[in-house]
Amino acid sequence: MTGAPVADGWQRLSPRMLLVHPVHEVMRQLPVLIGSLVLGSATGNPLWTVAGVALIVAYGLARWFTTTYRIGPEEVTLRTGVLQRSVLSVPRNRIRSVSTDARLLHRLLGLTVLRVSTGREATGDTVFALDAVPAGDVPRLRAVLLADSLPPQPSGRVLAAWQPSWLRYSPLTFTGLAMIAAAVGVISQSGLLRTLRDSAVLRAGEGAAQGLGVWGAVAVGAAVVLVASVVLSVTQSLLTYANLMLRRDGEVLHLSHGLLRVREHTYDMRRLRGGTLREPLLVRMFGGARLDAVMTGVAGAGEASQLLPPCPRTTAEAVLVDLIERPDAVTGTLTPHGPAATRRRWVRALALPVVASVGAGIAALTVGIGVWVWPVLMLLAAFSVFLAADRSRSLGHRAGGGWLVARSGSMQRRRDCVAAPGIVGWTVRQSWPQRRAGVATLVAATAAGTKRYEVLDVPADAAWTIAATTSPWLAATSWARD
Amino acid sequence: MTFAEPAHPPSAKAPLVWALGAAIPWAFAVLAQIVWFVLDGRLPWLHALAAVATLLGIVLFVVVVPMWRYRVHRWDLDPTAAYTRSGWLVQERRIAPISRVQTVDTYRGPLDRLFGLTNVTVTTASSAGAVRIVALDDPVAQQVVARLTDIAALGAEDAT
Repeated sequence: MTGAPVADGWQRLSPRMLLVHPVHEVMRQLPVLIGSLVLGSATGNPLWTVAGVALIVAYGLARWFTTTYRIGPEEVTLRTGVLQRSVLSVPRNRIRSVSTDARLLHRLLGLTVLRVSTGREATGDTVFALDAVPAGDVPRLRAVLLADSLPPQPSGRVLAAWQPSWLRYSPLTFTGLAMIAAAVGVISQSGLLRTLRDSAVLRAGEGAAQGLGVWGAVAVGAAVVLVASVVLSVTQSLLTYANLMLRRDGEVLHLSHGLLRVREHTYDMRRLRGGTLREPLLVRMFGGARLDAVMTGVAGAGEASQLLPPCPRTTAEAVLVDLIERPDAVTGTLTPHGPAATRRRWVRALALPVVASVGAGIAALTVGIGVWVWPVLMLLAAFSVFLAADRSRSLGHRAGGGWLVARSGSMQRRRDCVAAPGIVGWTVRQSWPQRRAGVATLVAATAAGTKRYEVLDVPADAAWTIAATTSPWLAATSWARD
Repeated sequence: MTFAEPAHPPSAKAPLVWALGAAIPWAFAVLAQIVWFVLDGRLPWLHALAAVATLLGIVLFVVVVPMWRYRVHRWDLDPTAAYTRSGWLVQERRIAPISRVQTVDTYRGPLDRLFGLTNVTVTTASSAGAVRIVALDDPVAQQVVARLTDIAALGAEDAT
């Protein structure tokens, strides 16, 4: 069943959206709803409330009647808007990818949101989204929409499939902590804390804390936060990435994932310009990595470009090798950046503990400070030493064979592999300290991914050599000297 | 392999235009301080401190930086690429192949027009790859644009 056809090739979305739109509209227009509730109870006339709800529901219903789309021979067009009409047209040969997304309510009704992307970054009103079509129609629509730009591909093979064991990397993200911090913020803002203060639960907690003493209470508190953040992180990871499947059919890459809300992305492999292996420290410690695509028309950071969530590093590497067919770029040894770069890592990392120690020393001599400061300072210093050593070890690059590979970072270590044909410009940047140290940062500009890929602190005289080894056209310009 | 520096400096009027451009906001800062001093003359040491800070700022940004930038800024074209050097504290050398150029834009601000200067921006498909040739004399800029659009078969291909 396709949406009810209207005249002239125009089609409506699935009639089941008559159920979804009002519900979404009620959630979106919550202020109006609350306003009408307040008005209804204040005036003692419940008709106000009924009128408010009726208005919102009517608006939701009207959205279905006013939204139509047409898949024409040259372009696809979407007309939307109850009061403000807007028409969005996308030339069919410009369609680069089709992604789908189904939230819980949509899934229950067998519906899917279908987004069409042209490779340009679109936001807000300029996103071509059919919200929503029957899930059963998606393969047909996808084939029709991509027929012009991406001919049907032979069915391929699975590059990676989610395994429950991947969850072992998720307790090691800061997602859970961030969620707890956000929740605490909301609670303290809303004044809920004050009502909690007198509750029996909290009083029992206080009693227990007094029994444990200060350090005991701190330890228990830390353990509770840790366990809560682990549970939250794992749950979030399970909901988002369970059933992940990365499949390649010829020149098309399909990615689908999600337990309750299922998301599907289709990528045009011809737009792939490389990949980034990301190894956040906490994931790297357990041998994990994530994989991002470097692709034109796909934002370089965030969910849009993520091909694999934290998974075993060998899996991420194998998938990247499969995609770019260059094992040496993915796993090959890197040229280190030399002593000047290493010195800069150490100076930078140790600046903070040194300044803090000097400050603490002065404070200790003049006003006096607590004893606890010194162990904290020592921890900070030890961590900084580790950071400096790890950052120095990470730094490396590899050029030639049509690829640029650069690795850097410690907390967020990344290995960028970028194809030379995708590089549309080079920048050699030197700050004043870099000029003194004789190093430079080489920046490869590309239309794909994050748009700029940096090779940090290479020896200044090697910067142009790396660039020219990657992009041979540089050696043919009139400024190149042997 | 070594890479030669780009050959051509910007217009000789460039430091003057940059200095004027920087002087305008600083003039407002000076004016604000005079008003403050007239309205509330207490705390002379605070006024003196603010005046010294302003003076240092003016010397740095109106005198030193424009001259420094003029010494650094260079541009060059050859049949295959556009190449610039720019900056003062942080210096950049940037090169973009003309085959990948998407647009050639010119920009003339009010001060630029007063002194007959033009800024040329050569954009590529990457937001990190635009080559900016700033503060050229108008006739020079026209030649640069003509040469660039001549060489670059603009719109011939996707250039990503």
